[in-house]
Amino acid sequence: MQEVPFSEFGEEVVRAEGLKKVFSLSRKQQRLEKTGETQKVAVAGLSFSAYRGEIYGLLGPNGAGKTTTLRILSTLIRPDAGDAFVCGHSVRGEAQKVRDSIGFMTSELKLEGFFTPSYLFDFFGALHGVDKETLAKRKQELFARFGIDRFAEVRVKDLSTGMLQKVSLVISIVHDPAVVIFDEPTNGLDVLTAKVVTDFLLELKAMGKSILLSTHIFSLVEKLCDRVGIIIDGKMVSDGTLADVCGGMPLEERFFEIYHAIKGETV
Amino acid sequence: MKLLALMKKEFTRFFRDPRLIISMLLPGILIYIIYSVMGAAIFSEEEDYSFKVYVSGDSAVVSTIEAAVTENDWTAEFLPAEDEETAREAVRSGEATALLVFSPAFDDMIALGPLASTLPRAEIVYNSEDGASAAFATLANTILDAYARTFSITMSDFAAEENFAAQMMAGILPFLIVVFVFSSCMSVTLESVAGEKERGTLATILVTSAKRWDIALGKVIPLACVSLIGAASSFLGVALSMPKLMGVSLGAAVSGVGAAGYVMIFLLIFSFVPLIVAAIAAVSTLSRSVKEASAYTSVIMIFVMVLSIVTAFVDGIGGWVSFVPILNAVSAMQGVLAGHMVVWQCLVSVAANLAYAALLVCLIGWMLSNERIMFGK
Repeated sequence: MQEVPFSEFGEEVVRAEGLKKVFSLSRKQQRLEKTGETQKVAVAGLSFSAYRGEIYGLLGPNGAGKTTTLRILSTLIRPDAGDAFVCGHSVRGEAQKVRDSIGFMTSELKLEGFFTPSYLFDFFGALHGVDKETLAKRKQELFARFGIDRFAEVRVKDLSTGMLQKVSLVISIVHDPAVVIFDEPTNGLDVLTAKVVTDFLLELKAMGKSILLSTHIFSLVEKLCDRVGIIIDGKMVSDGTLADVCGGMPLEERFFEIYHAIKGETV
Repeated sequence: MKLLALMKKEFTRFFRDPRLIISMLLPGILIYIIYSVMGAAIFSEEEDYSFKVYVSGDSAVVSTIEAAVTENDWTAEFLPAEDEETAREAVRSGEATALLVFSPAFDDMIALGPLASTLPRAEIVYNSEDGASAAFATLANTILDAYARTFSITMSDFAAEENFAAQMMAGILPFLIVVFVFSSCMSVTLESVAGEKERGTLATILVTSAKRWDIALGKVIPLACVSLIGAASSFLGVALSMPKLMGVSLGAAVSGVGAAGYVMIFLLIFSFVPLIVAAIAAVSTLSRSVKEASAYTSVIMIFVMVLSIVTAFVDGIGGWVSFVPILNAVSAMQGVLAGHMVVWQCLVSVAANLAYAALLVCLIGWMLSNERIMFGK
């Protein structure tokens, strides 16, 4: 475990150092991407940091490497080069400890419809090694805070999309992780459910959690994020507070200025 | 703790879902109904039999039997048995259909009824392995029974009932057991592993601090238990319908197996259920969807069926078979059911199957850690 450093932004809870990930392309993928290359560099030497109690946004177009980066940080995949540290634990050498420190979510709802929120909360709590007493206390507290208590014994498949999203979010923090990683939090959600998610993220921030999210929605970054990293073709091209990155311009305008400068093409 | 939570979840999903429970128990009930109907249909069919019957002693009932044979559109040749032992040998060898033996002055004694000095006796000697012989014996017995109720009828069947039943059971049951067990395992495992992978819920579990080994075991153990219930249902369906399908009593069919044999059959099933579950779970983990996993599993099922039917036709398989998964269990079960159980072969088979299942669980654990398999990258 590495010592967790402090900076002007506070305690550094996530640090990526030169992350690199290369995927092999199947013939089918080569045809789809219209390339003869057998490999694709998804992430090319990515470095950034996120701090306690802030919301950090990874902004980039589809295929930029955002999801790959978050999957590396969640220990679902291993980097080919470089390393990342979550609460001082290496994703390469201390995957188990990293998993104890994070909650991972995507906008796609991935809970088994047969079970109730209460059952799933207990199940994931047990998988994270949370003791029964703490689990019961957290369930009561979180279910009440997010209005799930009335639906605790209703099967997940019978819940509304908004409530289901809330349940997924609450379950992702069952073990009280220091860091919540959220891949495309509002992607494909209707406006009401998207509001549930953004409100929830702000609540988490108020609770002192660090949130790392990926998105391609400018308004979401402007509304939620304290700092932002712009990724294009697997490389971090700009990283800092919104004010630093935008330099007085609207985020969308600034993004396309950077994009045009790097890719040499207009959209 | 984490393993228990994973196992509990699988059990909960099964035991709280009536549809899953029904899908496990229904095959056994359906097998019982289908086989019973088939048995009734088979035994109601009449064939054009031609009988050669030796008669030892004399009785007017022979002409009644002859008339009944003609009424059934069958033909019969009744010949006096010059030597009873020679006639018995002819029935045993299949040269003659049956032998009717009447005690001296049979008709006179029947006429005297309770006043007769000795009890008149009749004996039908036949071979139930021969369809014609069995049909004649049934007909003759029915007529003799109606002729008078004051004498005894002895049915002497040359087919050793236990051996015949045991051979039949030994040949068919292990194959059926394997097929039913495989079907049960398929129905629960595909959905639980490939289904979870397809829906993405498996990835949610992978982000928790549960070890891959725990996740693999947490799937295989409960699924094996649930599959055992399905297999037991199917096995009972087969065992109870067998008398109706084959025309033998269950008691006679299994009398040669004994308690030790049943324990061994249970151990063999207990060993290959986790093996099949682990194999299907491994294929499911490898597949991207339930559809893909079903296609791969169907190929394995055909392979397993061929392996299990092969043992019914191949004699003198060597000791090496004990190390071949599935084939070892089928071969050992056939031995147990046929009444010549080889204990070391059974125990080696059980140990080998459990070892293979453990290896497959390790393989699943490794696959769960493999990003190319789990995320197609």
